[in-house]
Amino acid sequence: MYAHADKRCPITELVAHIKNGDCLAIGGGLSWREPMAALRELIRQDINGLKLVGSAHGIDVDLLCGAGRVAVSAESYVGFEQDFGMAINYRRACEAGFVKVEDNCCYTLVQQLRAAISGLPFMPIRSVQGTDFMQLHPEFKTMTCPFTGEPLVLVPALKPDIAILHAHYADRHGNLHIEGPPVADILFAKASAKVIATVEEIIPHQELAQKGVTIPYFYVTAISEVPYGAHPTACYPHYAYDRDHTAHYYQAAKRGVDNFRDNYLKPFIHDCKDHESYIAAIGGKTRLAQLEQWHESTEQWMQLYE
Amino acid sequence: MNNAANKQTCTLGELMIYHIALSIEDGILAFHGFGSPLVQLALHLAKQSHAPNLILVAGATYGINPTPAFLTPTTNDFAMNRGAECHLNIEELFDLAASGRMGRMFLSGLQIDRWGNMNVTRLGNDGRLTLKLPGGGGGCNLSCDADHVTIWTAAHRVHADEKGRRRYRLVERCDFVTSVGQRTAEGLPRSGMPYRGLGPDCIVTDLGIFSFHGDGHAQLRAIYPDTSVEMVAENTGFDFPVADNLATAELPNVEMIEFIRRLDPMKIHERELSLADRGRSFALK
Repeated sequence: MYAHADKRCPITELVAHIKNGDCLAIGGGLSWREPMAALRELIRQDINGLKLVGSAHGIDVDLLCGAGRVAVSAESYVGFEQDFGMAINYRRACEAGFVKVEDNCCYTLVQQLRAAISGLPFMPIRSVQGTDFMQLHPEFKTMTCPFTGEPLVLVPALKPDIAILHAHYADRHGNLHIEGPPVADILFAKASAKVIATVEEIIPHQELAQKGVTIPYFYVTAISEVPYGAHPTACYPHYAYDRDHTAHYYQAAKRGVDNFRDNYLKPFIHDCKDHESYIAAIGGKTRLAQLEQWHESTEQWMQLYE
Repeated sequence: MNNAANKQTCTLGELMIYHIALSIEDGILAFHGFGSPLVQLALHLAKQSHAPNLILVAGATYGINPTPAFLTPTTNDFAMNRGAECHLNIEELFDLAASGRMGRMFLSGLQIDRWGNMNVTRLGNDGRLTLKLPGGGGGCNLSCDADHVTIWTAAHRVHADEKGRRRYRLVERCDFVTSVGQRTAEGLPRSGMPYRGLGPDCIVTDLGIFSFHGDGHAQLRAIYPDTSVEMVAENTGFDFPVADNLATAELPNVEMIEFIRRLDPMKIHERELSLADRGRSFALK
């Protein structure tokens, strides 16, 4: 339990909570509210050998794979949907054997997190049996239900070492408010040993309470105010998804490992000493204003995808 | 093509959307998942036409009955969730399926076998990984739990690679079973498995439509105006029965086509189709 009064810290200290080899649950989903600034800082801090767990992800997991920080992936999906297709860095790292593939499925993950949240060693599910996930996960067991006689699959509790989230608002105590889909963030926060979060803005508790507490403070280890901290993923209603930047990212990845290092990791991570220099590198206020103006008209919103 | 002529034809994408929509019953809860623009449009089309009481759950946002501003290439986007009546969270959506309250799910695969087992996890046999696929999201769980499953693929037609090899989409055997069909890969009937759901009941492809025979085998039910049984067989990695009443698939009407075009002005759904297939169209009667 994290009971202290003031959870605020700089992003460098926030990310230093992650240790080499940690099991990391990344919040958000697909192109929505990924804690990208914190992941970039993680890469700058040379944290390695991570095991990733999650539901449906994209650039967050792909970036960590492209930077060589991942040892095991137990994600349910990693890709760029019909936008760009397969996650190239992720694929390359899995196929080369750098990343051990332990794919999972969304409900299996949910049940494993719920077991951890409830303090139980496992949860039962009816699905998964008959699929090859049983071979991929020898830790899954089967049993006959003592009440109905049905065969059930038991999936063990999953307690990630650390959940890393990006939320819209926090108060200094660490209460978090998320607008729109929380995806698995609430489950991650409740199941993980530590929770670190970047937020668009830290506001007084009264204001936060009016918006609503999505995740209570005592789950939360530390917070940092990092405006635009989800870029290039969306953090509606603050800003839309930066498809142009993601296209640049994807093309750099597509041209190979060296190209990705020289044309993405170097200019947008290693050459940026902090988040402010990253924001300057992606086009500064001009670019951010375009992403913030999505709601002005449907035409303007659509242009962000063309 | 001028506007008048354009209105008299339906594209392959629109035909597939229509037939995916026809698989959706009114009044059920159905979930469109992510990375599935043909299915996303089909759910909205169904709700607009024959299934007004459909409980439409948007993929990724878990919003219920949204009226999207326009289709986006990324599913977890406010544009896709506009006007949602209420929201589920991730555990609630999957609990609904696990407790038998999800009427239909839509799944696809890079490999699909004769029983409707599918692989979206990995290619390669004997522990060798030759191609890491994106993974199935919650497809594995939902293939067991949802009442019914509609399978779709826009890549049934096989193209030879530079070495002349043809890699089937409809395969003899999946390298990895991500989601389950009417029988296990070993041929054990689904009725012997402890699933709640009844499994896949159709496969809508770029070449035709299959249903599933009483024994759980895919059976060709319909072809398109520009395909034939021979063409389907030539592009399928297993032998299949053909329904006695094999039909040519019915085309959607003008209102339906206009609805699809309004909802998807950027033609995101065409990204599921091969370049050649984007040019296929059919004259409306």
